This record gives sequence, C-alpha cells and structure tokens, in this order.
Amino acid sequence: MLLSIRNLKAEVDGKAILKGVDLEVRPGEVHAIMGPNGSGKSTLAHVLAGRDGYDVTDGEVLFEDQDLLALAPEERAALGLFLAFQYPVELPGVNNTHFLKEALNAQRRARGESELDSVAFLKLVREKMQLVSMKPELLKRQVNAGFSGGEKKRNEILQMAVFEPKLAVLDETDSGLDIDALRTVSDGVNALRSPDRAVIMVTHYQRLLDYIEPDFVHVLAGGRIVRSGDKSLAKELEQRGYAWLSDGEAA
Amino acid sequence: MSAADVIATDVTRVLADGLAHAGGAAANDALHAVRERGAERVRALGLPERRQEAWRYTSLGFLQRADYRPFMDGPFSELQMSDIEDLLLEGHQGPRLVFVNGHYAPALSTPGRSGDGLRVSTLAASGADALPADFDQIAAHGHVFSALNAALAADGALIEVTPGTELSDPIDVLHVAVGADEPVIFHPRHLFVIGQGARAALIERYASLGDSVYFNNVLLEIAVADGAQLRHECLQQESPLAQHLDDLNVQLGAGSTYRYTLAALGGEWSRCDITLRFAGEGASAELNGLMLARDGQLNDVHLDIDHAVPACSSRETFKSILDGRGRVVFDGRIRVARDAQKTDAALANHNLMLSRAAEVDTKPTLEIFADDVKCSHGTTVGELDKDMLFYLRSRGIAEPAGKRMLCQGFAEDVLHNFDDAAMRARAAHLLDQRLARSSE
Repeated sequence: MLLSIRNLKAEVDGKAILKGVDLEVRPGEVHAIMGPNGSGKSTLAHVLAGRDGYDVTDGEVLFEDQDLLALAPEERAALGLFLAFQYPVELPGVNNTHFLKEALNAQRRARGESELDSVAFLKLVREKMQLVSMKPELLKRQVNAGFSGGEKKRNEILQMAVFEPKLAVLDETDSGLDIDALRTVSDGVNALRSPDRAVIMVTHYQRLLDYIEPDFVHVLAGGRIVRSGDKSLAKELEQRGYAWLSDGEAA
Repeated sequence: MSAADVIATDVTRVLADGLAHAGGAAANDALHAVRERGAERVRALGLPERRQEAWRYTSLGFLQRADYRPFMDGPFSELQMSDIEDLLLEGHQGPRLVFVNGHYAPALSTPGRSGDGLRVSTLAASGADALPADFDQIAAHGHVFSALNAALAADGALIEVTPGTELSDPIDVLHVAVGADEPVIFHPRHLFVIGQGARAALIERYASLGDSVYFNNVLLEIAVADGAQLRHECLQQESPLAQHLDDLNVQLGAGSTYRYTLAALGGEWSRCDITLRFAGEGASAELNGLMLARDGQLNDVHLDIDHAVPACSSRETFKSILDGRGRVVFDGRIRVARDAQKTDAALANHNLMLSRAAEVDTKPTLEIFADDVKCSHGTTVGELDKDMLFYLRSRGIAEPAGKRMLCQGFAEDVLHNFDDAAMRARAAHLLDQRLARSSE
C-alpha cells in the first residue's frame, strides 16, 4: 500500500473539519476526491503535505508504512509526496530555474542520491517542459510572480514532472483554468501516469475527470468519505448534486 | 567627568595623535590648508550628541570600548598578491587600486597607464603637484568623522576620467584591512572626477584579512560633469568587529547620470552617509542599497538628496534584512528647492525582520519647496511570509535554506542592479553565507 489513511480527524482553529477519513491508495491508481465546498477536501490535502495550523486529533496516515504525520513537510517531499497547490505561491525575486534545481537537489540529497549538476538539470527540465507546453521564458522568471492562472498551474505540473513523486495530490488544479489550459494541464498529468505513481485529485467539479480519468471516485462530505465508487459515481454527482449523499450538513 | 566628556576627549586625542603621526606640514600647500581646516572643524564640531537627529539612533558606544590609534606602518608593505587572491574580481580587466589600511599598495595594484583618457594618482604621491580642482569642493564635512578625515587623510585615489572618454572596464578600488595588535583608525580619502560627456564605472570594495577591530573612516568625493555617466558599485564586507563609515559626496552636472548600488554586509558598526547634489538641470540618479544587520550589527544609511535645480530625477531604493538583535537605521531625506520644478523623485525603504528582537528606525523625509513636482516615498517593515516558506518546504527545501532563499529573493531587487557579474555573484554569495552563519 502506498498510502493508508485511517480514521483521520483534524481541526483548524479548534473547529473539527475532518471527522474520520479512511482512504487507501495503491501505486498506479488515480483517485478523485469530490465534495461540496467546505467538506474538508483542501484540508485533507494540506494535512497530507504537513501545513502548520492543521491539528490532527486522531487517526494515522502511513506512506509506504512510514508514519507520515511525524515528518516535516520537506521530509514528506523527499519521500515522494507532492502537493499541487490550488493557489500556487508567488516567490518574488526567486528565479524559477534556481528554485526547481535547489528543490530537486534537496530531495535527492535527503534520499542519499547524488545532486544533478546544472547541465544535467537543464536537460531534464527542457524535456519535462514539453509535457506541460510551458514557454521556456517562464523558467527565467521569478517563481509564479506575474504568472497567469494557467501558467501557475502549469508550473505546478512541471514541478511534479521534475520531482517524479510517488504520490501527487492535486488540489483543485482545475480551478481558474479555461478549457485550453485545462486540457494542457491534464495532458501533463496523464503523461505522468505510471504504474508506480499514484494521483489524488481533489476537485469540486466533474469537468476535470473528463480529462483525467480516475480509477476511483470518493465523495467527501461533512468531514467523512460518504461514498466511494468508480467514475460513474462522478456522472451521477453531476446529475444529482451532492445533497442526496449527506444528511444536509454538507449541502 | 561625564561619559560625554570621555568620548569628546577621545576624538581630540585621535586628532592630536594623527597630527603628530603625520609629522607636521604636508608637502602640498593646498592639501595642508585642507587639513588645517579639517582640524579646526573637528575641534569645533566635537562628537555628535544623541539629540542631533542624524545621530539619534546611531550609537557611538564603540568609541568607549576601544582606544583607536593611528595606523603607523607594518603589515601592508609585506602583503603579496597571494594574500588578496580571493578578493580579486573574476574577469576584471580594468585598473585596480588596492589600499591596505588606508594606504596605497603599489605592489598589489595595476593602475594602468595614465593617458588613454584616464589620470590616476594618489594623495600621498601628489606631493607638490596641484590637487585636482574639485578636491575638497564637494564634501560637506557635515559631521566630525568627515572633518577628521579631512584633517588626517594620508592617502587615497585621485582619479580623473577626461572629457569625452568612454572607459570600457570598471576601475576597481579595493580596500583591505589587516589586523593590528590594537584597534586602529585610518582615513582613506578619494576623489573621482568624471569629465564632461565621459562614461565610467567605479567599483568600491571593503574587505579584511582576519577578524580584527579597526575603524575605517572613508571620505569620497565624486564629481560627474555635464552629460557624463557614472556607474558606481560598492560592496562592503568589513571584518565583523570593524567600524566602517563611508561619507559619500556626489555632485551631478547637467544631463549627467549616476547609478549607485550598495551591498553593506559587514562590520559591527557601519554607516553610509550619502550627500548628493544636483548642480545642473536634467540629471538623473538611481541609488539602490542592501543592508544586512545580523545579531550585534548596526547598519545605518543616511541620504541627503538635494534637488537644487529643475528637471532632475532620482530613485532611491534601500532594503534591509535584520536578524537576531540586529539594528538598521534608515534616514532618507530628499529636498526639493523652490526653483526645482519638474523634479521627479521616489524614495523607498523596505525592511525584512527575521527576528522579533531586531530593530529598525526608518525615517523617509520629503522637503518640497517647489509646486510642480512628482515625489513619493514608501516604507515597509515585514516578516518572512509563512505561505512562501511552506511552499518551499513542501518542495523539499528545509526551513533554514528556504529562509535564505526568500532573503535572496528580497535582496534581488537591489543586487540585480550590479552590472558587474562578479560583484553581483559575490554580494549574493556573501549574503547567503552570512545568513547561514547567522542561523546556526
């Protein structure tokens, strides 16, 4: 098992958001987590990445049998966990290429692998940029600063391509994208699908699933996964909404 | 005797020691007169007091902790190229003048041939020759340290770029401090004259061999004549125990351009007084500075920008990074005279606090007496952004390295103004190194 989430409970500012989440993800699988606003989808993504301000009050998360919650965010990244942010952060003054190289090499060092030199790194990045049809000049710019919404999301997927994580969590990656950008980003994710890489897509809309076909669909409502199924569940949600699944709390 | 008396006595003693050491009259009458006036001014001014606004936040406590002696002689004459190898700028082709403890070191310097549009000499060697006409015409000697320099300066660079000359390579003026057994004070004094329509670049650097206590009391006069352009880049990496005062006086002729970039990273006590006067219409100045104040460091920048004539523009952007109990003082004053219509000036000061124990005292001031001008100022004081830091950590970059990366990003605004690639790389590297040491 790549990821096991068992009875995970978490609060933000003393308010319970996750109320007992269970989820298992094997290598190669693509899971979609859907749900209404405020159901805890983004909280789950951030708890997995280790953001401050999310207090886990119960349960456990195992990543390849290691206690993920005991690790610092950078240690989780080095293990092979990647979070694509809903709102990628702008880093003024930090060069995108420099950032990517430092990050990749920090992960490699932590895993006991040798660092990539500049030449090897640039070769790798050029190759990966084609996956996300990113303009080369974005590499010379400051990280996400002045990027359009689509460029920021592409930059996230580029990072995913460069880091080659075992598990990528995509937090509302479709939000704010027009159809063309959505297609490019989805193509990038699809190109990275492999038998040893799993993906968790957190999304509000079925739309993304037209482009990235999931193996499993889960509905998170009121801090719990209230229903799981295959992609036909997503179609059903599109027709019926979320209200029929929950007790009104998450409508 | 009060504490103030003790300090005042010290400066007079420094003056007396220095004068005794200089051994009376200078060979050059003009220089002798300048020194006399300086000495008189030292006696008249005395040490600044806390109630003087320009010194309110700048502690002079170090004067009570160490007894500064004039630098006599010694190690500088024995220094060899191998001693300063690490300080040489990669790929530098232009003239290099090295000053060791304030004295010109010919063996370490490559001044180039005079002629070719460039006249290079030194204060000590000027002898009976006439000093350049601009000598001592630009400095305001607004405080006792500047006056002390005028009274005691033994050496310095006298550089003239003749009218119409375009220098292809920057002139590198490197100051190297070598520790003595006791705290020493030296007073290098430089003059740079950029002739009408000439173009030049000046690199000004301060470094030390070893961590010793010394007071580097520098005075610079710069005259940029009509239509001339000067790019001036300064990297201050003094010993962590040093005191450093850079009294920079700039005068800009009509239609001239002056671009100054400063990275003030070293010293226990560092102060940069920049007095810039627009003397002719249509000139422009751009001043960018980065100040680092780690635990126990004071870094101080005072700007006195005088828009005395119409239609000049100036941009002043100074950023500081503070850690531990570091202290930064920024006192930026822009004055726009009554006749200086169409002045365009913007003053900004941004401060990044890595520690709650650090302190910044910032005071941007616009004094505007003209009515048709465009002037602005802005100040910010902030901490590192938690979201940025988490973003970096989620990418595998641990907190200390992430903080340094964000600090570099903050500094980049200033450092990208270094046209000289070696200067830019050195400043960025030193900043990173010092921040890394700071967080240990």
